[in-house]
Amino acid sequence: MSAQPEQPDRILELKRISKAFGGLQVIDGLDLHVDQGEIVSVIGPNGAGKTTLFNLITGVYRPDRGEILLDGGSLLGLPPHAITQRGVARTFQTLRLFLNMTVKENVMAAAYGRTKAGVLRSMLRTPSMRREEQEISRLAEEKLAFFGERLMGYRWNQPAYSLSYANRRRLEIARATATGPRVLLLDEPAAGMNPKETQEITELIAQLRTEGGYTILVIEHDMHVVEGISDRVVALDHGIKIAEGSFDAVATDPRVVEAYLGTKAAATK
Amino acid sequence: MDWDFFVQQVVNGLTLGSVYALIALGYTMVYGILKLLNFAHGEVYMMGAFAGFGILTVFGGALEVSINVVALILMMLAVAMLGSGLLGVAIERFAYRPLRNAPRIAPLISALGVSFFLQSSALLLFGADFRSYETYEYIDLATGIHWGPLNISVVRIAVILTAFALMLALTLLVARTRLGKAMRATAFDREAAAMQGIDVDRVIVATFFIGSALAGAAGVMVGLVFYKVYHLMGFIAGLKGFTAAVVGGIGSIPGAMLGGLLIGLAEAFITGYVSSTFQDVFVFSILIVLLLLRPSGLLGKADIQKV
Amino acid sequence: MSEVEGTPEGPKIGVDEWVARHGERAGLRGGRLAPLVQQAERLPWWALLAAAVAASALIPFISSSDYVIRVAVNTVLFALLALGLNVVVGWAGLLDLGFIAFYGFGAYSYALLSSDQFDLHFPALAAVAIVIVTSALLGLLLGLPSRRLLGDYLAIVTLFFAQIYVVLATNADRIKLPWNDGPTDFTGGPNGITDIDPISILGYEFTSVRSYLWLSLGVFTVVVVALQFVNESRTGRAWRALREDPLAAELMSMPVNRLKLLAFMFGAATAGLTGAIFASLQLGVFPQNFDLPLLITVYAMVILGGAGSIPGVVIGAITINVSLELLRDPSNARALFYAAIGLGLVALVRPWRRLAVVAGATVAFGIVVYQLADAIRPAWTSGSIEGGRFSELLDGWVVHPVDSTRLGNIGFILLIVALLTLTEVRGIWRTILLVPTLYLAAFVWENRLVTEPSVTRILLLGALLVVLMSWRPQGLLGTSRVEIV
Repeated sequence: MSAQPEQPDRILELKRISKAFGGLQVIDGLDLHVDQGEIVSVIGPNGAGKTTLFNLITGVYRPDRGEILLDGGSLLGLPPHAITQRGVARTFQTLRLFLNMTVKENVMAAAYGRTKAGVLRSMLRTPSMRREEQEISRLAEEKLAFFGERLMGYRWNQPAYSLSYANRRRLEIARATATGPRVLLLDEPAAGMNPKETQEITELIAQLRTEGGYTILVIEHDMHVVEGISDRVVALDHGIKIAEGSFDAVATDPRVVEAYLGTKAAATK
Repeated sequence: MDWDFFVQQVVNGLTLGSVYALIALGYTMVYGILKLLNFAHGEVYMMGAFAGFGILTVFGGALEVSINVVALILMMLAVAMLGSGLLGVAIERFAYRPLRNAPRIAPLISALGVSFFLQSSALLLFGADFRSYETYEYIDLATGIHWGPLNISVVRIAVILTAFALMLALTLLVARTRLGKAMRATAFDREAAAMQGIDVDRVIVATFFIGSALAGAAGVMVGLVFYKVYHLMGFIAGLKGFTAAVVGGIGSIPGAMLGGLLIGLAEAFITGYVSSTFQDVFVFSILIVLLLLRPSGLLGKADIQKV
Repeated sequence: MSEVEGTPEGPKIGVDEWVARHGERAGLRGGRLAPLVQQAERLPWWALLAAAVAASALIPFISSSDYVIRVAVNTVLFALLALGLNVVVGWAGLLDLGFIAFYGFGAYSYALLSSDQFDLHFPALAAVAIVIVTSALLGLLLGLPSRRLLGDYLAIVTLFFAQIYVVLATNADRIKLPWNDGPTDFTGGPNGITDIDPISILGYEFTSVRSYLWLSLGVFTVVVVALQFVNESRTGRAWRALREDPLAAELMSMPVNRLKLLAFMFGAATAGLTGAIFASLQLGVFPQNFDLPLLITVYAMVILGGAGSIPGVVIGAITINVSLELLRDPSNARALFYAAIGLGLVALVRPWRRLAVVAGATVAFGIVVYQLADAIRPAWTSGSIEGGRFSELLDGWVVHPVDSTRLGNIGFILLIVALLTLTEVRGIWRTILLVPTLYLAAFVWENRLVTEPSVTRILLLGALLVVLMSWRPQGLLGTSRVEIV
C-alpha cells in the first residue's frame, strides 16, 4: 500500500500488528484502519485470527509487534478496562453476559467506567451518589430502549439467564453501548439467528451508526449481513489481510474465494 | 565453613525434598487433569502415615517387631499406598465428581470440608497424642554411610532411593504406557480425549489413586525418618507440597519433582542457618515471590486462556 | 416488579410476557415455608433489620442468664464475621482462606493500643478507627501480590497467610528491635495479651455482658446498613459482575484487579473491627482464638446461609453458632442430633407411609440388636449413656458398651461407609439400608461423638460443607445460580 497521510478522522488504526501463540503465528503484519462513522466488516474462514484481532484491540492480549492507535493515542500496554473507558467496547462471539444479574443491572454495571461514586460515598448514600444512581438507571433504560419493546418493562428485572438467545445477543450489545464508546466491536452479532432476526440485526447495526453515532467494526460470517451493512470489507486468512475494499470487490476476489472454498473453486472462477 | 553442618543440611534437604516431591506429584497430576487443587491431599498423606503406624502396631510395635525389618517396611509402604490410594479415590468420587461442572469455587470449598473432616476423623479415631514410629528401636541408625563430612543413616538412604524409584516408575508409566498416554491426553484436553474414546472417568480415578498412593508412601517415609505422626501433620506438609508443585510448574510432573527437591533444600537450609521457628514464613515468601515473578513456575507452561 | 400491562381479558397463555414471567410464579408454589418467605421478601430490608435487632436487644430481659447473653454476643460477632466474608466470597467471588488472620490482627492491634502491653491506652473510638484502617491496609497488602491469582492459587496463598499469622502471633514475643535494648514482646507469645481495656465511649464504660450485646448490635446495624448501601451501588454491581465473569467485567470498563483489592480490604476491615470488639469483650487475646477451625466455622455460616445474601449469612451465623453451643452439653447435643435426624427424615423421605415404615423399622431394629448384644455379651451393653433427657428411653435401645471408644471408632468407620453407600444405591435398597444406618448413627453419636464436642463440631462442619456443595450450593437463602461452564 502506498503511504497515505494521516487521515484526521481515522479513529482506530492498527499498524503492522503481529501476534503468535507458541509456534502458531495467529496474526502477521496486519494493517487495519477504521474511519469515524464507518462500518467495517472483517471476514475470513475460521482460524483466520478475527477474534484474536478483537482481543488485541481491547487489550486482552498484547501484540508482539506493531501499534494500535485510538484517535492517535496508543492503546498498547493499557489494561482492558482503561481501553474500554477510552472508548472501545465489544461483544463476544460466545455470549458473556452476567447471567445471574438482571437485564437492567447488566447494562447498569457497564456504566461503571463513566461514573465516579466511590465506596465511601456509596456507604453514606450522599446526594451526589444518589443523583448518579438515577442517572445510571436512566442511561440503562435508554440503551435498552434502542431495541424496541423487547428488553423493556418487566424485562428489566428478569435475570439475564431467562432471556432467549436473540435477546441475549441484543442485551450484550446494549451493555456494550452503556460504556459510552466511540467504537463498537461486534463479534459475530448474527451468529445463531434465524433469517428474520438476522434482518433485524442488520437494520439495528445500521441504526447504531445513524442514531448512535458509533463507529463499528464487525466480525461476521453471514454474507447477507456483511453485504447489508458494510462500507468496507476486510478479508483475513491465516492472520494476514488478503483483500480489502467494497463488498463486491472482496467477495469476488480470487484469493478470498480460495481461502473459503479451496484452490479448485478459485480456478474455476 | 563447617562442612559437616553444611552436608548435614544437604542430606536433610534431599530427604525432605523427596517427601515433598512425592506429595507435590499428587497435586500436580490432579491439577493437570481437573484444574482442581485437591486440598484434602495433605490429609491423605497423614492417613498414610497412620496406616504405616498401624502396620507397625499389628506386628508387635516398635519395641517388639515380630518380623524381618525390611519386610515390615515394605508392608508399611504397601498398605499405606493402597489405603491412601483408595481414600483418594473415595474423595474424588464423593466430593469432587458431583461438582465436575460446577464453578471452580465449589470443589475448592468441598475440598476444604473434606480436609477438615479427615483431620477431625483422625483426631477422633487416634486421639491428639503424637504417635511415634520409633525407628531407632528396630533399625540401628548408626549404620549408613559415614564418609568425611557425609553422615547419612540407612533409613534416609532408603527413603531417598525409594522416593526416586517411585518417581522413576511414575515417569515411565506416564511416558510409556497406554494409561500414561491417556492421562496426558486428558490433561491436555478433557473433551477431546473423551471423544477419542478414552474413558475419562477411569483416567481420573487412576490419577487420584496414583497421586494419593504416592502421598501415602510419603507419609510412611516421614514417619520412619522423623518418627512423629499426628492428625495435623497433613496440613503444613500439604501446603509445602503445593508450594513445591507451583514452584516446579503446576501440571508438570518433572516440575513437581524438581520443585519438591528445591523446597526441601530451602527448608533445610533455612532451618539450619537462619531460624527454625519462622521457616514456614520463609517458604511462604518463596511462594509469593515466585507467583509474582513467574506464575507458571520453573518448568510449567503459561496458561493461555481462549477468549 | 411491574404488573402485567394487561389486556382487558388478562394475560394470554403463550404470549411472550406470561411465559417469560413463569419463573416468578414457579417460585410461588412449593415448600411449606413458602408463604412465610414470600411475606418476608415483600418487607423492605430495613424493616427486617430493625425487627431482628430489636428482638435481639430484648434478650437480656427475657433471660437473666449471663451465659445466654454471652452466646447472643458471640452470635452477633459471628454474624459480623460472616458479613465480612460475604463481601469477599459471596459478592466478589474470591476464595479468601486467610480471613481469620484479619480478625486476629484486629484483635491484637486493639490489644496493643488499649492495654498494658505497651502501656498505650487510646480512647476506644480512636483505637477502633485505627484498627479498621490498619486492617484494611493489611488487606491491601495481602491482596496486592494476590490480585492476579486465579481462585485456587488465591485460596492457598491466603491459607498460608492465615497459618503464618498464627505462627507470628505465637512467636512474636521476642523480636529484637534495633532501637530497644532487650527483645520486644509484641504479642505475648502463646500466652497472649491480657488486661485489655474495656471499651468506653463518651464516659460510659462497657463492662457488663448485656452492654456488650447492645454495643455489638449497634455495630451490627451500622455494618449491615453500610453493606446494603454498597451492594446497591455501582461498586456492588461491579463486584457481582466480577463474580459472574471477570473477563467480561474488565472489558465492560470495570477495573477488576482494583475491585478485588477493594473487596479484600472491605472484608479485612470488617473482620478487624469485629476483632477489636472481641478483644475488648474478652479482655484478652490468645493465638488459639484465631485458628483454622474458626475459619471453617465462618465459611460454613456463609455457605449455609447463602453466599451473597446479607440476611442469608446472618441466618447462617445464628443457625450454626446456636447449634455449636448446643453441642457443648451432651443432653442438648443429643436433642439437637435427634431433632436434626427427624427433620431430615421428614424432609427427605416421602411419602408418609415410607417414613413411618422406616421410623418403625429403625426402632424395632434397635431393640432387636440391643437384646441380641445383651444376650451375647453383657459387657456390650453395660456402659452408661451420659445423663440428661431421654437417657432412660435410649438405655434399652442404643447399644452402649463399656469399651465405647474402640467400638465407637469402628462404628464411626462403618457409618461413613454406610452413608457413602447410601448415596450410591437407589430405590428399595436405599430404604432398607437406611434403617441400620440410622441405628448406627445413633450408636456412634451416643458412644463417641457426644463426648467430644470440640472434635464433633469440626467433623460436622466439614461434612456440612461437602454436602452443601453437592446438594444445595446456594445455601438456605441464596438464589440458585446459573453458571457458564
